[in-house]
Amino acid sequence: MRGWFPIVLLVCGAAVVFALPELLNAYWLRIATGVLMWAGLACSWNIIGGYAGYIDFGHSVFFGIGAYASAILMGDAFGWPFAATIPVGLLAAGGVAAVIGGPTLRLRGAYFAIATWAFAETLLQLATVLEITGGTAGLSLPPFLNERFFYFAMLTAAAATYALTWLLFERSRFGLKVKALRDHEPAAEAMGINTAAVKLQAFALSAATAAVFGSIYAYWVTFINPRSTLGGDITDQMVVMVLLGGLGSLWGPALGAAALFIVNRIFWMYWGDTTFYIAILGLAIIVVVLFLPNGLAGLFARKTQNGSQNAGRALWRALTRPGVER
Amino acid sequence: MVGRSGGVSRRNLIQYGALTIGAVAVGAPFMRTARAQASTFKVGVITSLSGENIFGGNLTRQGYDLWAEVMNEKGGVEVGGERFQIEMFYGDDQSNPATGADAAERLIVQEEVDVLFGPYTSGVTLAVQPICHKYGVPMISGSAESPNVWKAKPEFNFGMIPAVDTSSGKSVGVLADMSDPKARSIAVIGVNEPFSKETAEGFRAGAEDAGLEVLAYELVPSTADMTPTISKIAALNPDLVAVGGHEEALINVVKASKSLNFRPKGLIMHYGVTNPAFARELGADADGTSGIAVWLPSVPYEDEVFGTAKEYDERAHNRWGSHPDYTEAACSASGLVFADAAKRLGKKPPFSAEDKVALKDAIAETDITTFYGPVKFEKEGNHYHDNIQPVPVLIQIKDGVSVPVGPKDAAEAELTYPLPAWK
Amino acid sequence: MDLLLQTLLNGILIGGIIASFSIGFQLTFGVLHVIDFAVGAWVVLGGYLAYWMSTLLGVGGFVSLPVAFVVFGAIGYLIGPVIYRVRNSRYARPELMALALTFGLFTLLRGGALTLWGFNTRSVPTALSGESLMIGSVTVPLLRVVAFAFACAVAAALFLILYRTRYGLAIRATAENRHNAGLMGVDVQRLSANVYGLYAAVTGMAGVLMAAIYSVNPEIGLRYTLFAFFVAVLAGLGSVGGAILAALLFGIMESVVATYVGSSYSHLAIFATLYLVLLVSPRGILQRGL
Repeated sequence: MRGWFPIVLLVCGAAVVFALPELLNAYWLRIATGVLMWAGLACSWNIIGGYAGYIDFGHSVFFGIGAYASAILMGDAFGWPFAATIPVGLLAAGGVAAVIGGPTLRLRGAYFAIATWAFAETLLQLATVLEITGGTAGLSLPPFLNERFFYFAMLTAAAATYALTWLLFERSRFGLKVKALRDHEPAAEAMGINTAAVKLQAFALSAATAAVFGSIYAYWVTFINPRSTLGGDITDQMVVMVLLGGLGSLWGPALGAAALFIVNRIFWMYWGDTTFYIAILGLAIIVVVLFLPNGLAGLFARKTQNGSQNAGRALWRALTRPGVER
Repeated sequence: MVGRSGGVSRRNLIQYGALTIGAVAVGAPFMRTARAQASTFKVGVITSLSGENIFGGNLTRQGYDLWAEVMNEKGGVEVGGERFQIEMFYGDDQSNPATGADAAERLIVQEEVDVLFGPYTSGVTLAVQPICHKYGVPMISGSAESPNVWKAKPEFNFGMIPAVDTSSGKSVGVLADMSDPKARSIAVIGVNEPFSKETAEGFRAGAEDAGLEVLAYELVPSTADMTPTISKIAALNPDLVAVGGHEEALINVVKASKSLNFRPKGLIMHYGVTNPAFARELGADADGTSGIAVWLPSVPYEDEVFGTAKEYDERAHNRWGSHPDYTEAACSASGLVFADAAKRLGKKPPFSAEDKVALKDAIAETDITTFYGPVKFEKEGNHYHDNIQPVPVLIQIKDGVSVPVGPKDAAEAELTYPLPAWK
Repeated sequence: MDLLLQTLLNGILIGGIIASFSIGFQLTFGVLHVIDFAVGAWVVLGGYLAYWMSTLLGVGGFVSLPVAFVVFGAIGYLIGPVIYRVRNSRYARPELMALALTFGLFTLLRGGALTLWGFNTRSVPTALSGESLMIGSVTVPLLRVVAFAFACAVAAALFLILYRTRYGLAIRATAENRHNAGLMGVDVQRLSANVYGLYAAVTGMAGVLMAAIYSVNPEIGLRYTLFAFFVAVLAGLGSVGGAILAALLFGIMESVVATYVGSSYSHLAIFATLYLVLLVSPRGILQRGL
């Protein structure tokens, strides 16, 4: 019977997401669209941060590349249709990741984190001085105001991201290789895994998925500027969502994204005429860190089964084993 | 499951807590805010209450709020002989375009507002415009001075303040014209952010028109230190310095200039000089700085709600503890524009979708005089739906107060030029 | 030639300003192994302390410096153990959870400051505000010199404590290996409270100076966090001596690029350099990072 449970859950879940546009008004559908976008982005960050163990603090770069690819190509100079811009953004982001990944992925731990952050800040500054990006004034896209289109676009992208992640990281040799290099890179190398290639592939994949959400975001919001797409707070939000949800677990990022985004919007709605909600948000993050060490996913994981808790412990053991560079 | 001590374990408690919060979150979309008993006009305000633009965001809010309070004291907005109270709803755009769009959709769909009052920044305004268009809800912007806002011809958006390209260039021309001995050269600094950069471009264009030699045009990242740029400009020794930026950057420019003992003969900055906070924080060092105002408490206009400009100034000062500048005044006047249009429309609240579109048409026909001055929106061109009636005045800070010094017919005091050395 | 000298001086002084709030950050990373996102919040709170002291009591910024030391030292001493607990917990990724904790702290303090003190940009007067000295053709802004001297004094004091006292030995031992230090009788938990307290105290004092040199409002904290990160990485995480050097490099680069290339390129150049330095020399310019 237990084998059926996930399938039943999946069918129910699918029924709910397809019914949502009928049940919700435009505003809540907008929030749902936002949840899907952040769930997808958190998942994309989780690929490099959670599965490969490389903490990327500049992931907004790839989101921004997607957004700018769509905005520039759909602008007057090119006039492309939206659908055609997605692959361009995706390939551009993957390409940039492949190029900078080579040297950057040689760095470990905090150094990788801050190198990616420095790269993101560089690109942000570049976008403010270039002509083609519209500088700090930003770019407007032709408005297409069909909330259902964007809901289903985000849904498709998020579902594809999760399905891909599930297939590649939970059900394939590639996933095992990535996790092995996360847990113990020298050992993984000794086992004959080409760690340089594997982590580059994971990085490029993570970047390409983020770009897709960037493209849809730009078209959805209709206006982008350097800070709203390449800014550090985009990355911060992804990281915090994954940590809240559960690092390195498949569904953790979705849980974290939904929780943080919805709680933020509800606080903002009911107490939005004061700024006190920001303080409450900070307090909520502190409480989760102090009392839910494995994130929200850990809360509902069976204690002894596979899942984030166990992965976490294994990781902890790997990290604390003597002789392992941390 | 029972914990070791016989009570509910912490884990369980958190689990239940999380489930409860989750249930509330799932239920939230289906909860309705109860509509107030009597019918009222619902006004939605989208502005920056957090994030990098909090200062201006709160100024706009003060302006909008003051109108609502004064109007409600008088019984509300009059339609067909009956008066209706005003209810204000707020959406913090967090200085972020995407959040601004969320806020607009919430205020329109969830709170069912009859009209929107617009954001402080141009970026958020650009992201909100399509949403106004989608639902056919008019938005009156008491701020948003960037010319980009009007270039796309936003059908449902109206601006109270003349775009900065019409004001900054003219003002630098006035300053050059009034300088004695005549200024011959200028250096322009702009903070590299939307609006500030356009202000700087306006300064540069105006300076070229006025025949000034532009010795330097520097765009500075908003987080950078000002001393290198000031030193560079000091070495070129321009007669005038013009700065486009927001209040924090302007304060830093003055502090950096003084600490490097650099004093140009004339200094003009925009936006933030006209706000009393600028003079308060800088004290005597603010004196001599010029700025641009499209409204001052001394203008000769009045209306039935606020009385004269002077009375408006006193009222705002009593309410908020600081004197209003033109942004606040323009925001309060936004309310007057709405009240006038609603009265002409003659429809009682709540407005239907058609009423809101009709309200937009009524606003487009606005032709009134308020304490803020005449209001009439452009019907075509690059400043579509922008109110370019107010005439920019060159002001100079004297003993901590903004005093109009030019052009000649608006001047109340002599322009101090050249500026004396730092004390 | 005059402009070149002035540019270099500007750069050196900017470096001193940035070093003043980056040194403490380096110390916490070196000893507690925590990347403290909240560093900008301590700078902002320090600024507000000075602002309120000058508004309510009418005292200049310099009087606020010792007060900031005591107040933020006490707050840091209380918060330190919490951060330490998370950092050394058996969580899956304790260093990340500690980062998330400080991010939460930063958000809490930012939201609190915004709610309590409003949106105005504030400035703190001091006896030396706007004063300058002419040396040859070069103008020396005195308040900035104070910040520079403050950074040097803090670095020197830390150096003396770390390398000339027994307590410094305990700190260094803890930085190297927490477990072994514990075995040797160091009360590691207590020490971490002291170190975080010292860091918050020094950063709060730097905040007083920032509010006097620039200005303060609740939203500018992120900028200081950004610069502290920059310096920390260029220096090599945890290296206190490197922090001064890296901050100077930052300042001189910002100044030279702004003067000779164009102001809009200054931060582009700085962050591109940081990225390249990291690739070539991952442990910072002195190769001393952890």
